[in-house]
Amino acid sequence: MSCKRARNLFATYWDDEVTQAEREWLESHFGACSACRAEYDALARTIELVGSLPREESPADFVERTVARARRAAVEPDHVPGASHRWVPITAAAALLAVLGGSAIQWAGLSTAPEQRPTPVAIQQPTWVGPAPGTTVSRSSTGQPQIAGATNTVPDSIFDHGEDVEFILDPVTLRKGRAHTTIRGADAPRGQQATITF
Amino acid sequence: MGRVAEEDERAFTELVRRFQGRVINLVSRVLNDREVSDDLAQEVFVRVYVHRRNYRRGSKFSTWLFTIAANLAKNEIRRRVRRRNWFSLDALQEMVNDSAIQLADPKEGQDVELQRAQLKQAVGRAIAAVPEKYRVALVLRDLEGFAYEEIGEMLKIPGGTVRSRINRARGILKRKMQPLLRKEGL
Repeated sequence: MSCKRARNLFATYWDDEVTQAEREWLESHFGACSACRAEYDALARTIELVGSLPREESPADFVERTVARARRAAVEPDHVPGASHRWVPITAAAALLAVLGGSAIQWAGLSTAPEQRPTPVAIQQPTWVGPAPGTTVSRSSTGQPQIAGATNTVPDSIFDHGEDVEFILDPVTLRKGRAHTTIRGADAPRGQQATITF
Repeated sequence: MGRVAEEDERAFTELVRRFQGRVINLVSRVLNDREVSDDLAQEVFVRVYVHRRNYRRGSKFSTWLFTIAANLAKNEIRRRVRRRNWFSLDALQEMVNDSAIQLADPKEGQDVELQRAQLKQAVGRAIAAVPEKYRVALVLRDLEGFAYEEIGEMLKIPGGTVRSRINRARGILKRKMQPLLRKEGL
């Protein structure tokens, strides 16, 4: 815990921004903990090495070349990549026109088109295919339910979803917000035609 | 700078003369590329000249100047990273350099100057290996000696973030320079 506290103080200690109490505590910790002392010395030496790097020499003609380049750039401001903003107003105007145009078309379309009310969908009541009331249902050895006196196999569900499935498998044609099913050929799976209004 | 804003070209020349060393140094240490840094340092002064009317009187000129320098250096690093994604040879080279952050064993009679030059190179490579986000703050602090508040103003980040970035950079640098420090018995 005290080592963690010591390491948290390294940076401020280096920057000479610790309080007198923190300084005294840290220095006494260094006396007792050689690992923290070594850690701090390594950090201090790293910072010293960075700070001791010599300054790079400027080329002899740096000033003249820079002033000449600045003069050219001031004459042609587009030379400086960040200084070129001439496309900003053009782009903004184009975007504004596109938004206004889109809004106008949408408004015109809404005001001229007759109001279309969705056709109500007839919902067919599910067909009860389970055993008739009063029929006894027993379990076979395989666990399948068997109805007394019936030879037909009993579906998994008490509701017959066959027609629903048939509708889903049929190709659906989208036209003006309505979906239609089409039945292909005589041997295609047959189901009731359905219309869904969106 | 006020005179530069008033189209005084001699004042601009004086300004370049006065700050050229520090700007070249900053860019060069951040990029660890001496050849590119001259050109980029020129670009810093060009931007100062082109945007001279945007300079707010009363604000510290060096802060404004080094904000531009730091931004250009960061852009250059990012451009290089993007390019490196395409040409992974550069990345390979950097990895090789990273692993070579250590000094060759001094041979008998080897020039002390040569050893010193090697040390500088190794430290320069170690700085270049610090992630960009931390590197710029580190160079501004430990090489250029700016106050944390000034660095925060330049990089547009709060003072606490500046401190944590610099601490993080120093930690990374210490690990990268471990072979050098071990030779010194640390």
